[in-house]
Amino acid sequence: MLIALFTILFLSASSTGLLDYIAESRDNVKAVMVKDDRRDAALDTLKAMKKITKGRNKDVKRVSKELRKAFAGADTSDEQLEVIWNGYFVAVNQYDHEIVDLRFELKEQLTREEWEAVFPGS
Amino acid sequence: MNENMIETHAIRVRPGACCRMLVVAMAFSVAACAGKGKSSATDVEAQAFEDLRSEIREVIDDPARAAEAIALVNALPDELSALRRDVADRKRRARQLNADYDASRADFEALAEQFNRERRAGRQRVLDEHREFLALVTPEEWAEISKAHTKAMKATIKSMQAI
Repeated sequence: MLIALFTILFLSASSTGLLDYIAESRDNVKAVMVKDDRRDAALDTLKAMKKITKGRNKDVKRVSKELRKAFAGADTSDEQLEVIWNGYFVAVNQYDHEIVDLRFELKEQLTREEWEAVFPGS
Repeated sequence: MNENMIETHAIRVRPGACCRMLVVAMAFSVAACAGKGKSSATDVEAQAFEDLRSEIREVIDDPARAAEAIALVNALPDELSALRRDVADRKRRARQLNADYDASRADFEALAEQFNRERRAGRQRVLDEHREFLALVTPEEWAEISKAHTKAMKATIKSMQAI
């Protein structure tokens, strides 16, 4: 448990993505937009978001496994842990960049009213 | 007298009221179950930390070193609670920004950078705690303590991985 705890605190949680939840908005989009090409395009964008989020989740699992192994070793140095973390950090930044790109692509596919209905402020 | 009261109650019940009362009763029962579940999760987590302390006492023969190791463990539940609060807050801020149709790319980049700063701040503390723990125990003791997996610990690990 101590190893799992150090791992989760070190990573500052597993669900570290900036906008993961947008990928789960398919039902909202289907409910708000009429069935046409514009809606299909929006659903394709959400599909792309889901795909990269899935890839990111795989990365998180892999890094968590590496970290658990590293924390379990009595002779693991801070530098070894830093190397794993830095690799992970690069992947998180890459993911955030891609998901924000897709967020703006989705924004172009929805009107302001549709956006506000799909993503209510509170 | 009692029979009259029952009759009176029966007469006063309007059509549909029974259904409403049933719904209210069900809602209370669901709320009670939810409350019970939440409290159980907290209890399981507390038990998991207690199991960890017991394991440390069992594995480390030297009471002074065991007490130091337990003192380190005692800080961890609060850190875990703080992490849960931070993650909930991060999600709320991200949702709030995304809901703003006019939010710019720079706004998202600033938020991502802020999240990164928060993650980096916690990382050094964990490295220090890990190092302090390793300095207190022998490699054999560390291996034994790391292997401990009670039922409460397993449930807590699962709940941590969902954060």
